[in-house]
Amino acid sequence: MRTPLSGETGRHELVLMAFLAAELLLFSFTGRRFATAENGFEILRVSVEFGLLALVMTPVILTGGIDLSAGSLLGLCAIVLGKLWRDAGLDPGWASALALAAGAAGGLLNGVLIARLKLPPLIVTLGSFSLFRGLAEAITQGVDNFTGFPDSFLLLGQGYILGAIPAQVPIFLAVAAGLWLLVHRTPFGRSLRALGYSPEGARFAGLPVGRNLILVYVLSGAGAGLAAIIYVAHLGQAKADAGTGYELLAITAVVLGGASIFGGKGSVHGTLLGLAALAVLKNGIALSDRPSEWVGMATGALLLAVLSGEAMLKKMSARVPRSPTRDSTSMPSGSP
Amino acid sequence: MKSLPPNPWPWREGSVVVILLLSLGWLGLAAPSFFKPAALWPWLTSVAPVLLIATGMFFVIVGRQIDISVGSQFAWCSVLAGEAASAGWPWPGILASALLAGLALGALNGLLVAGFKLPSIVVTLATMVTLRESLRAWREGEFVRDLPDSFQWFGLGQSLGQCWVIAAALLLWMILWIASVRLSVFRWVYAVGSNAEAARLAGLRPARITFGLFAFMGLLTGLAATLNAVRFTDVDPKTGAGLELQAIAAVVVGGVSISGGRGRLWGVLAGVLLLACLPSALVFLKWPPHWEKAIQGLIILTAVAAEGVHRARSRGRED
Repeated sequence: MRTPLSGETGRHELVLMAFLAAELLLFSFTGRRFATAENGFEILRVSVEFGLLALVMTPVILTGGIDLSAGSLLGLCAIVLGKLWRDAGLDPGWASALALAAGAAGGLLNGVLIARLKLPPLIVTLGSFSLFRGLAEAITQGVDNFTGFPDSFLLLGQGYILGAIPAQVPIFLAVAAGLWLLVHRTPFGRSLRALGYSPEGARFAGLPVGRNLILVYVLSGAGAGLAAIIYVAHLGQAKADAGTGYELLAITAVVLGGASIFGGKGSVHGTLLGLAALAVLKNGIALSDRPSEWVGMATGALLLAVLSGEAMLKKMSARVPRSPTRDSTSMPSGSP
Repeated sequence: MKSLPPNPWPWREGSVVVILLLSLGWLGLAAPSFFKPAALWPWLTSVAPVLLIATGMFFVIVGRQIDISVGSQFAWCSVLAGEAASAGWPWPGILASALLAGLALGALNGLLVAGFKLPSIVVTLATMVTLRESLRAWREGEFVRDLPDSFQWFGLGQSLGQCWVIAAALLLWMILWIASVRLSVFRWVYAVGSNAEAARLAGLRPARITFGLFAFMGLLTGLAATLNAVRFTDVDPKTGAGLELQAIAAVVVGGVSISGGRGRLWGVLAGVLLLACLPSALVFLKWPPHWEKAIQGLIILTAVAAEGVHRARSRGRED
């Protein structure tokens, strides 16, 4: 089923694609060895971790929620993995599985508080943002750093498949494909959008609102766990500050991708485009020998420019009397 | 009728005050040196800027908005105040540069949120990153040094300077507390936070009030940055990181509803003090200090969960 908003989201994605093309063109002039296949894979490799967070953040934002704790949970899961492997003597595979479970459990905590006690996601995940990072710091006493993982485990984050493709890229693509199917091709995915538009309406329509909300946050937590495993394998170490600020990058990617922070509107492919725009910006600025501060400034400015540009377009099109054909694709009045 | 209607649920703020008093009492028994002037005054001085930020955040949240860029604004205001001082400006000039910087940055947020009708969480997320990184690009980690002697503690010496910092923050908080109950301007904030559409139909202008909230937040941030900067011999451009979370946490613990329209400013003072005594308590009780963030998170979650349970119960009674 196509979403009722396909007309509007389509326009947004075209703008984003044009911006991405402009970025690629600009950086292939200014950047050293920017337009090479190796660099393309390098961009993919370094963006998998926050990319995974952005992917699982998409359904959360679709429901009108937010998960500020994602980066902290990544840090906690990385520490759980390191601790279980080094101090409990577990095999890295089992330690990874338990780190993934820890992520899901963290997400479950968020989900239960949000869905069962009907608390605002912003403030619940702000609390767990502190709690998860704090637990990671408490476990490591602020100084412990887990390193020396076996090569077979590091292969997941540093190895190559077929000689060129970074090993984590197929995992990322599999998650992206799975999530796209879940969000855009299943009744569960459609219910998220309904929930974002109007939680009361979704409840009256007989949708299992509470259960689906909890599932969305568990999914987000498990995504953070998976990102933590790849993060540790990629960098070869697990510290309590792993993933600091990643939740903001992830939210930025989702919003750039055309999702409404109020819920009900957004798509997985949009998030992927937003991610690509961010990742290329980061890499291109570094290869153009510009200081890393430019990345943050450009990201913030880009986010504001896209949002205010859209707001102005909406204002202008609201002044023009609408033709009946355009009315059928516009937002229902009364939604946020 | 000028003042706010009576608080429908005073126990929410009251319970925070009780918990605060219990913790302070327990701290007094377990670590009496916490209340010695040598420890108490520096602690209160470090809390004063947080109280001002949390006060601004209180109005923003009551007005159903949020501002997560205050930490970055704080850093900009601190550095500009420091630069003004090291350039030899007199005190009114230093204060004016910090206040104007804060006002301008807050007004920028207000313009984007109220003028363009953008969600405040996204706008302030973007300005947080942009402001922080642009300051980093300018300073490249360099501190503002060579501050004149007249800058630290306003040139009054440590003990008198500490008194001034604490008194200024407390006095302003008290004035705003009384104003928030008595003045109709602040009642409009509650009205817009409860239901912006109803407020508009009642003849208020929600966009202007929202703009004012962010500008006021910036102004208070500028003042807080100045009060914080006088505590040190130089200004760190990385200052204020995480301040937004501290302020939001204090406001929420103080009983303010994150969905707007509900809360009292006196609860915020209790929330600020409760969260701020935590690190000191850990030090004095010889607990590992690394538990601070985890316990802070637990306090926030407990506070919001208490609100959720209360709401669920009162809903049950209505049915």
